[in-house]
Amino acid sequence: MVRNKRVGAKASVLAAAAALLLSACGGAGVDAEASDAPAGDCGSYAIAMHAWVGYTASAQVVTEIAKANGCEISQVTLAEAGVTYDAMESGSVDLVIEDWGGGRWQEWADRGALVEVGENGNIGLIGMYVPQWMADEYPDITDSANLNKYADLFVTDESKGKGAWYEGPPGYTTIGEKMVSANGLNFTVISTGSEQALIDVFTKADADKTAAIGYFYEPQNFLAKVPLARIKFPANDWTDPEQASGLTDYPESPLIKLATPKVMDANDAFTKIVKNFSWTNADQNEVAADIESGTDPAVAAQKWIDAHKDIVDGWLK
Amino acid sequence: MSVRTEPIIAITPKRISRRWILGGLLLSWIVLAQFLRGKATLELDNPDNSPFTTWAGEVADSIRDNRTDGAAFKFFFNPIREFIDGFVTLSRELIAIPSGSSSIPVLGWLGVISVIGFVVYAVSNIRMATAAVALTFACGALGLWTDSMDTLAMTFAAVILSLAIGIPVGIWAGLSDRVLKAVTPILDLAQILPTLVYLAPLALFFLIGPASATIATMVYSIPIAVRLTAFGIRGVPTSPVEASISMGTTKRQLLQKVQLPMSSRTIIMGVNQTVMAALSFVVIAALIGAPGLGKPVIDALIIRNVGEGFVAGIAVVLIAIMLDRSTSAAISSQDTFVPPSDADRKRRRIGLAIAGILAIVGIVLSRQLAWAAFFPKQIDISKQIASASDSSVKWVTENMEFLTAGLSKAVTVGVLNPLESVLANSPWYLTVVMITLMSLILGGIRSAIVSATLLGAIVATGLWYDTMITFTQTIVATLLTMVVGVIAGVWIGRNARAERALRPILDAGQTLPAFVYLIPMLGFFGPSRFTAIATGIVYSIPIVVKIVGQGIRDVPVNMIEAATSTGSTKWQLITKVQLPAAKKSLLLATNQGLIFVLAVVVIGGFVGAGGLGYLVLLGSSKPELQGKGLVAGFCILLLGVMIDRIAQYMVARNSAPKH
Repeated sequence: MVRNKRVGAKASVLAAAAALLLSACGGAGVDAEASDAPAGDCGSYAIAMHAWVGYTASAQVVTEIAKANGCEISQVTLAEAGVTYDAMESGSVDLVIEDWGGGRWQEWADRGALVEVGENGNIGLIGMYVPQWMADEYPDITDSANLNKYADLFVTDESKGKGAWYEGPPGYTTIGEKMVSANGLNFTVISTGSEQALIDVFTKADADKTAAIGYFYEPQNFLAKVPLARIKFPANDWTDPEQASGLTDYPESPLIKLATPKVMDANDAFTKIVKNFSWTNADQNEVAADIESGTDPAVAAQKWIDAHKDIVDGWLK
Repeated sequence: MSVRTEPIIAITPKRISRRWILGGLLLSWIVLAQFLRGKATLELDNPDNSPFTTWAGEVADSIRDNRTDGAAFKFFFNPIREFIDGFVTLSRELIAIPSGSSSIPVLGWLGVISVIGFVVYAVSNIRMATAAVALTFACGALGLWTDSMDTLAMTFAAVILSLAIGIPVGIWAGLSDRVLKAVTPILDLAQILPTLVYLAPLALFFLIGPASATIATMVYSIPIAVRLTAFGIRGVPTSPVEASISMGTTKRQLLQKVQLPMSSRTIIMGVNQTVMAALSFVVIAALIGAPGLGKPVIDALIIRNVGEGFVAGIAVVLIAIMLDRSTSAAISSQDTFVPPSDADRKRRRIGLAIAGILAIVGIVLSRQLAWAAFFPKQIDISKQIASASDSSVKWVTENMEFLTAGLSKAVTVGVLNPLESVLANSPWYLTVVMITLMSLILGGIRSAIVSATLLGAIVATGLWYDTMITFTQTIVATLLTMVVGVIAGVWIGRNARAERALRPILDAGQTLPAFVYLIPMLGFFGPSRFTAIATGIVYSIPIVVKIVGQGIRDVPVNMIEAATSTGSTKWQLITKVQLPAAKKSLLLATNQGLIFVLAVVVIGGFVGAGGLGYLVLLGSSKPELQGKGLVAGFCILLLGVMIDRIAQYMVARNSAPKH
């Protein structure tokens, strides 16, 4: 200690800085221990995370497989559509594994910011739902033409004397207001802000036998727990911008993958996974159910991967 | 409706006539609103655009098209973005993300903790250093090491850049009156700007990602650095300055040797405040792709996972306490005027040397051994905390429903709906005229002109109806905040023990991101306007309580003694002496309360509160509504400025000397 007498604060800061520099090239020890993944040639990518459990399931499965093949993956939480496409344009996000946006990305694709990679195997169906007990008690309620007849049942303090129409969160694909005005419905659209709020609304309506109409979608594991009935609206082609102004119902649509040109050009393990990833609604529900019951998404995804080795191997070819 | 003016009127007992005029105005407003309900409300359906928002959308589109080739982007925005991105990546690679070809950051967790311990010890003392190490470790124990480090790195980058701009500008504004005059309105504006507002415009120019998030944070924190630096320079006593000038020092020497050293305390305080401002931006920045602790909070909000959001919120608070206390300790170590003895100095040097060696050992270990590089997964108490908070919220939701539902219904039906029908569901011209007249009475002619102009601008944007929805929620939340805030403020103002007991809660309340308690609120009250209002109240109560408490404490002792000697009861003392004497503080608290509430009520758009905040969110997700989202942000700004101006004119009028 005697020899340290003359060592001042500045000197020790310098020493620390020097040590930092010296050890900057000495990280090999940790790297050797950390690399349990096969040393594949794979870049680093960011996956957009949208906030519904089915999306989490798909994205997490892709994340785990990519990591196991030497890719470095980060996840970025963003709302659906606009912001995410902007993030892809700026290069801070590389992949959307499940896009519902109905072609809203076209403008970005035209500019070369992103590429449509194809379908991901899931078939998406958004719609307006009521709890099953309502469909049992008022059989004709599932036809949108009869909704006004029952509007009084749905009135709350929030709904300005009309029926309360619980809309999906602003970060989802929603056309509720257009549906209400195009069909002349006596309802007020109320944004719920989150998937969980919708689940709360339906859970409560099912348990207490109260009235509720709200946005929901398939594939969603919740439908297996609380039965809901989908309301039928007059159909139309909503990919056509001309018709889109008179939107009245959500179409059943294959969900697609979007990736940046960086992913498509890299031709590494991640490119293969992104191009080939495809699974069924049942697959997604299986992983989503685990996540919903409190399993860590990474663990839930790994469980599915381990059980479906053959499918996963196919994606890597 | 009459409630609205109570806090204002109750404290101006002498102006009876003004009170009558206001009452008459209110009454006629309510009556007219009844007759004209639903007419000319300018309500615009959410999926529709007004001419102005359509135009804004086209402008945004053309900006977007220019991103790759436009000169402004090539030579201005993109270089800035790339520079900041690079800087942020550098600081993240240091502690948070794998650097280069390595699988770990430059510093593993042990390295980070030892460096933090060393730096805090170097600027303050061993106790602070131990606390900082413990707090940082706790973030890891919450299972959020990487996210916490990302937040720390982002905060660090934003603070360094903010100070690099803020301190020079602050020094300049401190030396030149003209510069101060030029920057003051900008600083005022930046401080009342709700954070949600500048995300979309920034994302348009700097795209989504860490760069945008950092710039957004800087917009928020630079004004604070500028303000406190200028304040520090101006606070230097004139005699040493004059003495130096008379001895022939140059301006540069004067600044370096006199003005800067003598204002260093205030400037470090500015650093402290800049750090806190940057940190308070953590969650909202996640909306435009910032890495860090905001991510789990936003995730938790969308899937309404109370526990997960709460755990991440605690980590934010831990980091806030760590940075706040460390920088405050640096301020107080500036305060010791007694020169340390030789023995002290020696001890200090030895201590620093030991700490330095420990830090180096920590760094080297964290680069060589896996256990020192990756935070041990075994140490994880997040599950316990998450499930404890989950179950307590669940318990309240299940067992207290009569209370939560009753409260929500009482406020919604009793206050919110009637006020909304007067403000939003009556013709726009009636509301414009009435607000203008009221601000004329309350704040004078200039206040009326400002109100009329801003309201006119809001009408012109086409988003009048949504603005009034947001305004209604802001007023209701502020009213409730003032009721609770004044009671608690009077209590802590009169009772030192209560002040000591409440202060840590108030401090924590100010650093906990509003999003964190938005999640349980959503559980309690469901998707509704009241959820937004309740969140706004919780967020703004600490600041209101603090200002009111300070105002009560500052009431001159002789006034209180005089009142007590004439036999006033405690109630009389509070209502007739202390509250009137603290009138200026009450007005200031109302002003701050309104601004704080507005910032959070717009976030309520996430949870079914509608209004401008919802339009901002819609705009970020739906390309065809992006113009509307941008304009909605602009309307929030106009609303904030109007509220602030009216309140400022009222404060000015009430603090003018009486004759």
